Amino acid sequence: MKIVIAGGDHAADYIIKNFNKRTNKLIIINPDKEIVKTLTKNHRIPVFYGDPYKKEILETANVKGCDLFIALGYKDTDNFVACQLAKKVFNAKKCICIVSNPKNVEIFRTLGVDSVISSTYLLASSVVNESSLENLAKSMSFDNDKIVMTEIVVKDNYAISNKMIMEINFPKTGTISCIYRKPSVIIPNGKTLIRPGDSMYIVSAVKDQKDIISFIRTEKY
Amino acid sequence: MAKTSLLRNKTLIVGCGRLGSSIANKESLAGKNVLVVDKNPSAFELLSDRFSGYTFSGDVTDLALLEEASIGSTKEIIIATGDDNVNIFIAHVASQIYSVPNIYVRLDDPSLEILLRGLVNVHPIFPFELSIDKFKLLRGGNR
Repeated sequence: MKIVIAGGDHAADYIIKNFNKRTNKLIIINPDKEIVKTLTKNHRIPVFYGDPYKKEILETANVKGCDLFIALGYKDTDNFVACQLAKKVFNAKKCICIVSNPKNVEIFRTLGVDSVISSTYLLASSVVNESSLENLAKSMSFDNDKIVMTEIVVKDNYAISNKMIMEINFPKTGTISCIYRKPSVIIPNGKTLIRPGDSMYIVSAVKDQKDIISFIRTEKY
Repeated sequence: MAKTSLLRNKTLIVGCGRLGSSIANKESLAGKNVLVVDKNPSAFELLSDRFSGYTFSGDVTDLALLEEASIGSTKEIIIATGDDNVNIFIAHVASQIYSVPNIYVRLDDPSLEILLRGLVNVHPIFPFELSIDKFKLLRGGNR
């Protein structure tokens, strides 16, 4: 994979460490002279010095056709322009950028950046996630919050417990992708028996998640 | 804020530098409803004593501020902050999210024009190219 890492300090350092393998071609661009020095020293790879939101710099660094463009700059608008340039001028296949204002997550997605990450936004959604732990449902979303994976622990009093999957008439809007029953992972089929204490992992569209959770939580009469 | 949202036919100016403020002064003198936003409140000192529009200060890249300045119902927006990247971002927001009918945006770097292609109602202004044209014109006249 051809990966471009634009800007950032610790984040850039960490990503380089994780992706610096023979199968990847890393292109690193940074506007800070000190960071350029540190990165070169730490990882023994060339680092381009310059602003990643300038066309000439991206040209020199030869980012054309990269598989992944990661913008880690401090200013949201700088990252936005860097991603736009990468996408429109240099045909980057996928762009990821970090933003400091969590409100920009939705806006940047609307304006065409593939993936937008805000630490505050993640923190907020993980707070929501942890607080719903009491309700025994955890979820994780993919592709800009369109697809969601829900984890639910089956309780004894649920109508579906101690029944086979073929018997429960599971909603067609979701799929039980796997069941975790300590210590093994079960890939279910119709004859799989659901037991209390099982963790079910269900993939669905975000809009159907609520219905599926309430289906599973339906109690025995 | 209720007052400003009543002003349908207004001009929103983002960035109160030399360009932004002089357009604001002119439009206001001509009797138009003008709103000016800038991150720095002291920038409004460039507005003349006869300026009678509204001013808002705050982070111009935050949609909350632009909405307070009623970007959703403005007739035209002039984007002239000192940062090209901010200008491009606001142009995208004005065109794609709020469908502002007339968007004028100043850019120092002409190579960024490509990022505005495909956007509806966006008209870029390049001081650099204007200077080159003027230079050519002047020299041409002297030869």
